[in-house]
Amino acid sequence: MKSSRKIMQIVILTAVLIIGGYAIGTTLFASGESGGVPKVGGTPPEFKLVDLQGNVHQLSDYKGKAIVVNFWGTFCPPCVKEMPEFERQFAKWQNDGLEILAINLSEDTLTVNNFVHQFELNYPILRDVDRKTERKYGLRSYPTTFFVKPDGTIMDITVGGMTEEYIDERIAKLLTY
Amino acid sequence: MLSIHNTKCECGHQNAVGTVLCESCGKPLMEDQQQNEPLEMRYDGIARRSQKKNQNLIDRIWSFFSSVKIAIYLIVLTFLGATLGTIYPQENTFINNFDIAAYYESTYGTPGKIYQMLGLSHTYESWWFITLLVMIGTSLVICSLDRILPLYRALSKQQIRKHLQFINRQKTVYSAKVDEPAEAWVEQFAAQLKRKRYRVHMDGSALLAEKNRFSRWGPYINHIGLILFLLSILARSLPGWQMDSYITIADGATVPIEGTNYYVKNEKFTVDFYTDDELPPELKGQARAKLYETAAVLYTCSSGCEAGETPVLEEVARHDIIVNSPLKYKGLKLYQFDFDLTPKLISVKPMLINKETGEQYGPFELTMKDAALNYELGPYKMRLIANYMDFAVGENGEPTTLGREPNAPAFVFLITGPGLPEAGQPYMYFPMQKDKEKFGQDQINGALASKVEIKVDGMQNVNFSEASTSLNVRVDKALNFVWVGAAISMIGLLMGSYWQHRRIWLRIDDGQLSLGAHTNKNWYGMRADVAGALQKIGVTVDPKSLDNGGNNA
Repeated sequence: MKSSRKIMQIVILTAVLIIGGYAIGTTLFASGESGGVPKVGGTPPEFKLVDLQGNVHQLSDYKGKAIVVNFWGTFCPPCVKEMPEFERQFAKWQNDGLEILAINLSEDTLTVNNFVHQFELNYPILRDVDRKTERKYGLRSYPTTFFVKPDGTIMDITVGGMTEEYIDERIAKLLTY
Repeated sequence: MLSIHNTKCECGHQNAVGTVLCESCGKPLMEDQQQNEPLEMRYDGIARRSQKKNQNLIDRIWSFFSSVKIAIYLIVLTFLGATLGTIYPQENTFINNFDIAAYYESTYGTPGKIYQMLGLSHTYESWWFITLLVMIGTSLVICSLDRILPLYRALSKQQIRKHLQFINRQKTVYSAKVDEPAEAWVEQFAAQLKRKRYRVHMDGSALLAEKNRFSRWGPYINHIGLILFLLSILARSLPGWQMDSYITIADGATVPIEGTNYYVKNEKFTVDFYTDDELPPELKGQARAKLYETAAVLYTCSSGCEAGETPVLEEVARHDIIVNSPLKYKGLKLYQFDFDLTPKLISVKPMLINKETGEQYGPFELTMKDAALNYELGPYKMRLIANYMDFAVGENGEPTTLGREPNAPAFVFLITGPGLPEAGQPYMYFPMQKDKEKFGQDQINGALASKVEIKVDGMQNVNFSEASTSLNVRVDKALNFVWVGAAISMIGLLMGSYWQHRRIWLRIDDGQLSLGAHTNKNWYGMRADVAGALQKIGVTVDPKSLDNGGNNA
């Protein structure tokens, strides 16, 4: 009688620990990435996108590297202006471990191909589909650029066009981490 | 509170620590009880399971949650916490993904910022709120178990002949001299109680009559329901158990539902407005929707569902969604939420015309989104080399696009064929007549414009979406369990509140009748039962005179 009572107590308290622990744990885990929109100091949402050659790129593939994630479209003049600047920056810092991921804002293949051939861009141009990734990142205006440190946290988010000096400065800072 | 004293009753029964009334004869065991006050009958005076000496850690946790006082504190704290969540709108009431921190500050000022920073903008998903719920759940389980098991034991083996002190210190009592033989009197009285649907047990000159014992289980059944309710709410955090999102689909388009394997097609969105005749005078001239309906088809993706692949879809359900008539499929519900009546060009079917001979080739299908690159039309070959969804001439005179929606689409084809250079000649085509004139299609194409023309013949060859629909996607697997829990809890509540457990004890010692009766509520009814039964055997008593004082009598 006594021992069965003890077993019942332990079973119930264990069940409480498991169920309660799971419920509380998920809220703690969720609050880490809540708010939906990535913030400075937070982690950028994961994505899995295809480039112009059909290779799949995942953000997590670039773990441990300094990454510039840029959202752009051919319809956005400041984005268009930035693309060759990113190309020069990529050439300059590539050997220091810089990665640039330029995510196109769900435009069609012909448009993107024409654009990229015109500028001869060598960094990966990723194709968002149906604005999914863009929504995940909570974009409100274009271009928007995320500077992601090698530890996977966001150093800076720049909304709007940037000068090449500004980009250079950001990347130099990014590579010091 | 727990006095450590000899727990053996004078009747010889060994009681557990914390017992208030002897489990067997009912004699009050606590010395500190006032001598003549009505007895504390809660849980029939039994000890709760957790009341024991030498508590170890598990016992202490157990007793903590077993305390009703703690349970009330927890409930009050949860209520107070829940009210905090009602000060400003919660995050999950916003549809769009945007910068929530900035929203609270800009809308509600500094209090809003503090509110958001404290995490109160998602009160009901916060760790502390869930912790309170888990603690209430634990308290419900432990409080109930700690009381129901001993109570069940006590009620299922009740002693018929109770201690005189127990009988005389009930809240409803009666005593008198009985001249008849004791057993005959008891038999007579028992017959009357049976007519009142009491279950009667007799032991010579002692009697125990009882009715509606099941109402004692009401609170525990209620608790089982509440526990199920709480568990279902906690289960919402399981992956795939809850979802509340929004999708917008243009007419004819198929879009994936994020986070699921489903795709939805909007075959046709229809909206009907009330005519002015149907509207009251103050609303005349306004566009009031009478019906909005989405002919929706639900698909699952069977292969090629990864990024960059072409999904293979299988139809699983179709339904004409109107307000309050969602498409339902395996717990997934699609509700009509909103619509947008801005037309969007999807595709055109133009002809290629040789202007010199008048010969026509085609039609060929040109889609606005991801158009095919090569076309063969009779002797002509066309290759699409550029497209602009929202055509404009840029600062440097180059063609450019202002956006990605086909508001002013333009296509550049490289045409080869009779009378044209072998390398081909570029031809710019504006599917919309207004753009053709605005941007001067013929001037752009120059000499080529007099040789060939791409032209749409009639509206039947223009395919555009008249509208797009917004659907609310919901999954709530927990909801059914919530309903079951609520139903069980309601059954328990009714059991406990519409019936009362009534008991009557009596014994006749040397012609002296001692009668005591107990119920958990409705003492008026209890006294009426006793007085009524006595009346039937010729003893007239005023029901009020049976009242022995005490609270809630």
